[in-house]
Amino acid sequence: MGRVKIARKSTFIDMTAMSDVTVLLLTFFMLTSTFLQKEPATVVTPPSVSTEKVQETNFVQVLVSPEGKVWLTMNNDTSSAWSNEKMRMALLDKVSEIYNESHKNKISFNVAQKQAFSKLGSFGVPLQQMGEFLNLADEQEGQTKMDKWLGGEDENPNHVTGIPVSWNSDESTPNEFQMWMKALRQTENENLAQSIKDGTGVAIKADQNTPFDIIHMVMDNLQTIHMNKFTFLTALKAGE
Amino acid sequence: MAEVQQNSGGNGKKGAQKKMQIRVDFTPMVDMNMLLITFFMLCTTMIKSQTLTIALPSNEKVENQENMSQASADDAVTIIIDAKRKKGSNEVDSVNGQVVNEVYYYFGKPGGDAGMFGAGGTVLSENNNIQKSEFLTDEVNGGVHTPRGIRQIIQQRNHDVLVEINNIKKKYADGGFGSLETKADREKAQAAYDEAASEIRKNENLKKPVVIIKSTPQASFGSLVEILDEMQINSISKYQIDNMTRADSVMILDFQSRNQQ
Repeated sequence: MGRVKIARKSTFIDMTAMSDVTVLLLTFFMLTSTFLQKEPATVVTPPSVSTEKVQETNFVQVLVSPEGKVWLTMNNDTSSAWSNEKMRMALLDKVSEIYNESHKNKISFNVAQKQAFSKLGSFGVPLQQMGEFLNLADEQEGQTKMDKWLGGEDENPNHVTGIPVSWNSDESTPNEFQMWMKALRQTENENLAQSIKDGTGVAIKADQNTPFDIIHMVMDNLQTIHMNKFTFLTALKAGE
Repeated sequence: MAEVQQNSGGNGKKGAQKKMQIRVDFTPMVDMNMLLITFFMLCTTMIKSQTLTIALPSNEKVENQENMSQASADDAVTIIIDAKRKKGSNEVDSVNGQVVNEVYYYFGKPGGDAGMFGAGGTVLSENNNIQKSEFLTDEVNGGVHTPRGIRQIIQQRNHDVLVEINNIKKKYADGGFGSLETKADREKAQAAYDEAASEIRKNENLKKPVVIIKSTPQASFGSLVEILDEMQINSISKYQIDNMTRADSVMILDFQSRNQQ
């Protein structure tokens, strides 16, 4: 009895088609993706029936943490004359101008610091510490250090995160948050000024569990400097 | 990775090039692509945020009080949002990390026409006209929507407007504002509908409530958005966000102490 010979078949699978598919998928995701921006505080926006989509450009996001800290993020029209970099530089000039009007302890920024500011995502530290904060950009692992500072995880207890904000109904003595918002309106970017006027230029992003008095304080701050129209960022509520 | 197989056929002519069969193994390439896809899938945000636009009045004190429009006590509905507290303390209670929203409401003036306070500032708890409700979605039973909770209260007060709005909604669905065939047509009809709806909301002849939204400091941002949503759902044209008065807090405390058991 001869042994039955089993024909040796190659186990080679042609992966070409599979590779084609994965490359297609990859291209799709690469083109459609917008990266999640790292934010100093993680918040869950409240659900709402409103279906208005958030603007893509020309708005400033005011991130409010449940503890009452505030950070700003700018979204500018990159195609127009006001790019993100240019707008941020103009903003920093303007805000230091406003700050120096009412404070003896003057602040000023050098070119390298302004450059660093123009590349920031979210920002929000007291103006007196802004110079020190921006100096980090030239250091090794500067980005990590800045993120740590903004996230409130810095070892140095003097490094405060968040733009100082407090109850203030007197327009002549603005707090730092109001200074920033005023500066935004006063840069010569007309597109932004127009959208602030329309009410789409300022978007408040806060967690759904944030107590009302914190939101109320931010709203009151804006009202004081005559920004009476703004938007809340919400998530879509399904099924209504 | 890649292999080159040589045909070992013996019928090749002399001088003719040998036929080579080249196969490249794509498995590692697929592996890498899959990793990249996973990365991009996890890093993308597909859903864009929605926005809710609100307009607040200017903060400046109105000097000429006569020019202020006053809501008549008949139309006024005051809604106060609050967060559930832990028993016996003022701390906010939460379930699964989520604040439990509470909502109170009263019609007209606090304490009715007689007011909440007697002579010398005594609290007249028998005049307390505050009531408690809840944020609830419609109960759907066989396609019929029945409002519940605070929505039911608002809808009862805004009945006249909602009847009209429902009429034009039906008209829209029946093609009364233009055909709904193509996208362009739909947009046109939608615009006409929006126009008609805003006309109804502004109509002075219909009885409309004026909703005053107040909030305790502890109430959550989520409940504020929720109550603003209710305004939109129920076509309320006049509403405002206002500060709590002393009478409001007294009424809530009085209500809570009576309903603790």
